[in-house]
Amino acid sequence: MSGAADQAPVLEVRDLQAHFRTRYFGVNREVRAVDGVSFDVRRNEIYGLAGESSSGKTTLVKTIAGLLKPPLEMVGGSARFSFLPEWDAIGRAPQEVVRRIRWRHLSYIMQGSMNVLNPLRRIRYSFRDFAWRHLGGGKAEFDARAAAHLERVKLDPSVLAAYPHELSGGMRQRVTIALATICKPEFIIADEPTTALDVVVQKDVLGMIRTIQREMGSSMLFITHDMGVHAALTDRLGIMYAGRLVEDGETAEIFAEPLHPYTRHLIASLPRIGDIKQREGLEGTPPSLAAPPPGCRFHPRCPLAMPVCATTVPAMIATMPGHRVACHAVNPGIAA
Amino acid sequence: MSALLELDRISKSFSRGGLLSTQRIDAVKEVSFALQVDKPEIFTVIGESGSGKSTLARMILGIHAPSSGQIRLAGRDVAAYERQAFMAEVQPIFQNPFEAFNPLKQLDRYLFMTAERFGGASGRQAAETQTDEALRQVGLSLAEIAGRFPHELSGGQLQRVAIARALVAKPRLIVADEPVSMVDASLRMSIVNLFGRLRDDLGLSIVYITHDLATAYYISDRLVIMQKGVVVEEGPARAVLSTPTHPYSRQLRDAVLTPDSAGAFRVTHSAKAIATPGASS
Repeated sequence: MSGAADQAPVLEVRDLQAHFRTRYFGVNREVRAVDGVSFDVRRNEIYGLAGESSSGKTTLVKTIAGLLKPPLEMVGGSARFSFLPEWDAIGRAPQEVVRRIRWRHLSYIMQGSMNVLNPLRRIRYSFRDFAWRHLGGGKAEFDARAAAHLERVKLDPSVLAAYPHELSGGMRQRVTIALATICKPEFIIADEPTTALDVVVQKDVLGMIRTIQREMGSSMLFITHDMGVHAALTDRLGIMYAGRLVEDGETAEIFAEPLHPYTRHLIASLPRIGDIKQREGLEGTPPSLAAPPPGCRFHPRCPLAMPVCATTVPAMIATMPGHRVACHAVNPGIAA
Repeated sequence: MSALLELDRISKSFSRGGLLSTQRIDAVKEVSFALQVDKPEIFTVIGESGSGKSTLARMILGIHAPSSGQIRLAGRDVAAYERQAFMAEVQPIFQNPFEAFNPLKQLDRYLFMTAERFGGASGRQAAETQTDEALRQVGLSLAEIAGRFPHELSGGQLQRVAIARALVAKPRLIVADEPVSMVDASLRMSIVNLFGRLRDDLGLSIVYITHDLATAYYISDRLVIMQKGVVVEEGPARAVLSTPTHPYSRQLRDAVLTPDSAGAFRVTHSAKAIATPGASS
């Protein structure tokens, strides 16, 4: 756990809004993929983001990383990194600033990133393309450094001479983790880095991510929909539903005492080996983000829904120190 | 007891490479098991990617012919069946419902077509009745689905339509290849529970192929665990998963992360073998 001196946030996200805006034939369509999200990521911790597909997890981290391409637009709010205090979001900083901090201070392991390696280039050249300009030094010196770093993720230095297709999925994933960590960045964003791997390899890779993160003392934003992975890996956890954060707090606390009805359902519905209790799916369907329900976006599927839920957006309130939840049933009468 | 589905030492090998450098890859090696007619069950095949479980599914569906061995449905070799008669007995459900349906085709067309070809419905009226019946079994109705395109439904609904499509043919066996791995967490259990109801209420047998040990434990009656094409362990699902004996099964089970595994990675890891290119990892 983080000590008191580590409490200063490395990333401060405040009321972040990112929408997909399209205009075709005079028809404006706005999909509010991220709508008013606030949270902090502290030094030396892994902050997990959970939520089902199309709940806006990937859009949120793309906005934080400044990877905004039309139709995705950052509409409001801020996402400030401690290593870039002069800009309130990477997406608003000029290109040369972004180029300076990318990989050196902030790295991003993308979804399906085992497929980002150029199939025609040996791993060695991928390392040079990514990291040489930040680390500097001679060619031989850099290669030695890359080889030493590969050993950290339990890969043989001969991997440097291999082409991506010669490596298995798990090895390629470890190469991308090595690429993302070789510059020892302060902040790592990992978007579903192990979803495509099978369970045995996944456990290996997750252990490696944890060890490297601890060694370097970096902060990490870790996204997956797999609650089991969150329980095992993350320090704190945020639950997203339909573009909003509905609950966040210490991972152990959320699993022990989930407050939001959606979180409670997510945790209760997980089948476990050794437990044959009947588990139910949630009725209804995830809402469309182009026309989300008014008030609390979960209310059409919520077992605790009250009249106020359909009209008023619940505020994200700290019910206990360090454990926030946005729900009228938990915090009666507090609107956003 | 007579067998509904019998796999008798089936193997499948693929060859790779050119004329002079042919490599043989054994995807499935000498797999045998049987499902009984009068005892509907959910039979699970577990394995990591590359363990040959999808190849096995394709052979049961008659898409690939086994290299050796025989698959019998109700005592008759699958290869001897006429395709249409076979599909009326055995129906597939695939992993990704968004890829299983043509995005430009209305969903009810699939259901009507299945009803007319395999379900024995003659004429539109009969096809509609049969379709509606099947959709009601999965908690939907024809009124909700008629004229809708795949993008208008969520992943969970679409997977239910895929299950309804399989049911329209009134099969005796369903082969489901990773049916819940693309479905959202909040909807996953409703699909898995639906399989249980199909077994209990309709007496359907289901071959459930998955890498998710937790849902296998939750729903299935018997299972086999495959590694590199070979069955390494088999038996009653709960007994096998509670006390696995084969080292690979134990490794699989220990790798499952559950809400109870909090802090699994807080400890420092012991040094593991260093992987080299070419070695499978």
